[in-house]
Amino acid sequence: MSSRVKTKQANRVVREQLAREQRRRRTIIVSIAAAALLVIAGLVGWAVYANQAPPANYAVPAHASGDRTGIVASSGPVTVDFYLDFLCPNCKRFEGDTSSTMDDLVAKKGITLVYHPIAILDASTNPPGYSTVAGAASGCAADAGKFPEYLKALYAKQPAEGSAGLTDDQLVQIGVDIGLTDASFAQCVRDHRYSAWMAHNTDTAASKGIHATPTVLVNGKEISPTANDLLRAVG
Amino acid sequence: MLRWGGTVARVVLAVVFAVAGWSKVSDLAGSGRAVAAYRLMPFDVAKVVGAALPFVELMLALLLLAGLATRLAAGVAAGLLVVYVVAIASVWARGLSIDCGCFGVGGDLPPGAHPNYFWDIVRDLALLALAVFLFFTPRTRFAVDNYVLGVA
Repeated sequence: MSSRVKTKQANRVVREQLAREQRRRRTIIVSIAAAALLVIAGLVGWAVYANQAPPANYAVPAHASGDRTGIVASSGPVTVDFYLDFLCPNCKRFEGDTSSTMDDLVAKKGITLVYHPIAILDASTNPPGYSTVAGAASGCAADAGKFPEYLKALYAKQPAEGSAGLTDDQLVQIGVDIGLTDASFAQCVRDHRYSAWMAHNTDTAASKGIHATPTVLVNGKEISPTANDLLRAVG
Repeated sequence: MLRWGGTVARVVLAVVFAVAGWSKVSDLAGSGRAVAAYRLMPFDVAKVVGAALPFVELMLALLLLAGLATRLAAGVAAGLLVVYVVAIASVWARGLSIDCGCFGVGGDLPPGAHPNYFWDIVRDLALLALAVFLFFTPRTRFAVDNYVLGVA
């Protein structure tokens, strides 16, 4: 082999090595940039969420429980916590099945009944958010001392999952039908005054490990949501 | 042929991560609750993970769709999928009854509803196979990598 051919070959090897080296360097730089983009995306998500957190001075309805997450409907020695979502069909069923039992226990002053409206099904209406809007409206009914009545009326007119939910006008009308004729109730519903309170309720419930509705606690212990179990647990 | 296969893998992964991210991004608090329902971490940590995850999934989908830093994106996708599979398997093993929250929703299932763990895991393992394939053959057709990294 002539020396000129050898030199050519050597040059090619060097060129290829340089090209490989350049590719490697570029790959590293691009990878670092992409990794940074992924980290930034995560931080953006965190920041967006932090901005959505309810303001510290959110409005709380009358008759709210000590930790401001529920509406206290009666007083008695045994505490019954009922976590509900106004869109949840099983909550409606539980409420219907246990309505007379609950009324009985309340009348005999046997239980402290605390309703916890939470919004875990906001994504199940189109547009989303009915759980929050309906829960906020229930806070307005609590202000007027008619939370349990309004809850029953809302469940009687419960919209289907996947539907648009009820409008503000319908939520007001349901109140009017049970005697909430005061203009302040209608205004409160239309203002969505207690939607931040709903966010607080939902968050607090999740922090206690409540990931479903209906969830029923008797003196802090979860029971299966049936009338029989409720009676047995209350004793 | 392999390069076209890689392109298909990229697009399939991109679409799935985009749908998964998009379904959660409108309800970040709900996404945090879906993570909390796995009962694998304290609620405060789950909230942060749940808020960050949809955005990471969307960014990952963009990288995969563009074919930019494909090997890194495929590696991250594989890592996420391994975490998802392990998390779902652990929920299954502990006898919990939840919605995986993979595409929004999430939380405990109502009594009587049956969880879908088997098919969730099958789906994630199939996607994991695509991600691993892409990790080992990251140079694909129609990828930005072909322009910025130089010809392979």
